[in-house]
Amino acid sequence: MNPVGCVLVSLALSALVLGGCSQQQAGAFMQSINESGGLDKTLKSLRAPTQAEEIEIGNGVAETLLGARPLLDDPDLQRYVNAVGMWVAQQSERPALPWHFGVNDSDHINAFAAPGGYIIVTKGMMKQLRNEAELAGVLGHEVAHVTQKHHLKALRKSALVNLLSAGVAAASAESRHAEMVQQLAGPTKELYARGLDKADEFEADRMGVVLAARAGYDPYGLPAVLTTLASADPQDNFLSLLTKTHPLPQVRLDRLAPGLATLDGIKAPQNPTRFQQYTRKLQLASR
Amino acid sequence: MNCRAWLVAALVLFLPTAYAAESGYTLKPTELKDKPFLDAVTVVTLSEKTQVEIVTREGAWMQIRTKDKQQGWVRMLSVRLGNPDQKPQSGGNLLSAIGIGSRPRPTTTATVTTGVRGFSEEDLAKSAPNPAEVEKMKGFAATAADAQQLAVQGKLEQNEIAYFDADGKPLKEKK
Repeated sequence: MNPVGCVLVSLALSALVLGGCSQQQAGAFMQSINESGGLDKTLKSLRAPTQAEEIEIGNGVAETLLGARPLLDDPDLQRYVNAVGMWVAQQSERPALPWHFGVNDSDHINAFAAPGGYIIVTKGMMKQLRNEAELAGVLGHEVAHVTQKHHLKALRKSALVNLLSAGVAAASAESRHAEMVQQLAGPTKELYARGLDKADEFEADRMGVVLAARAGYDPYGLPAVLTTLASADPQDNFLSLLTKTHPLPQVRLDRLAPGLATLDGIKAPQNPTRFQQYTRKLQLASR
Repeated sequence: MNCRAWLVAALVLFLPTAYAAESGYTLKPTELKDKPFLDAVTVVTLSEKTQVEIVTREGAWMQIRTKDKQQGWVRMLSVRLGNPDQKPQSGGNLLSAIGIGSRPRPTTTATVTTGVRGFSEEDLAKSAPNPAEVEKMKGFAATAADAQQLAVQGKLEQNEIAYFDADGKPLKEKK
């Protein structure tokens, strides 16, 4: 790799994954930033991460998300959610990503997407759902975040700054992944506590509804979930992070309404029986 | 049939009904239709904050029953779940509060939570990366063939539907 290429790659977050530059090169790179008119300008000139890098970054983000709460111990439910999620993801522009879905053992009501196809739904969210069409709607919203690279784009800037200040580019090959995850942990926590732009959330709602409908589900699954959430006190402890990071459910419903109306003619299954079969343990278990 | 068998039979008969009863109220004056279609006959126009019991959902529509035994279909988005005169429900208890959900659960407040497995901002801040859990997650992955099988068994038929923009207009190019 030539020095310029090395500097460019190390500039990107992906450098931690695939790159590998010396301290000296990192220093030269800092200088090049100053000479080229500041960080913002340099950021714009960055190449986008490759798909392999995106997946590696997503893996790192997922490690931090599952570090907060581990997976729920219910293999049948985990496999079922993966099958539903994979079917919804097959309707997207990126069916070939290595999609991974998981239910975590949290009573809070939320769902998260990480770059490269890692999606986590809380147990608390699963308990609010009535049927498979509602699950497909929630997963469709998260799949849209991945296909639109909402989190990846939001992470690049903050993660980059972190990387530079630590000079991690010189990390050895063996420890590179762990180091990348460590470097990513701060920006990950910051992003998932702050949330995406509202426009990204509205877009994910619009796309999620369409993905579920393409998959053959009743398109009103996600709206039904939003009506459930709209009946809750947004300041409730179980909803605190969801409320902080998303527009209010009623606002999301209002924004969705024009597009939803175009899907009114669709009659499609909700599959409540199969959903209740897989979530029975979860509904019966006491906290 | 002995007493116990009767009890079991009664439980089997009545549990699904108890499970399905959800309540709500109209957000605005709402037409009650005799069928789930816009051009169906309007039975009556329900005034704002009319309390309704939800029988079922179908696409954009909810089949409902009012206190004075009027039945029909209203638009899902015209109904707010819960009770118009009560405080909003606690998030951990939503479905049981509005009629669904199998059992009562401990109450919580915003500051005191007992035995709650959280994913709050604080829990996130304290997270230490857990690579083993991600590997475990990968072990549950579904293949495209698994997904196809789920679709066939669930009678899910794929549709070609374009994404739409904020105004509800179809986007020409698939994103």
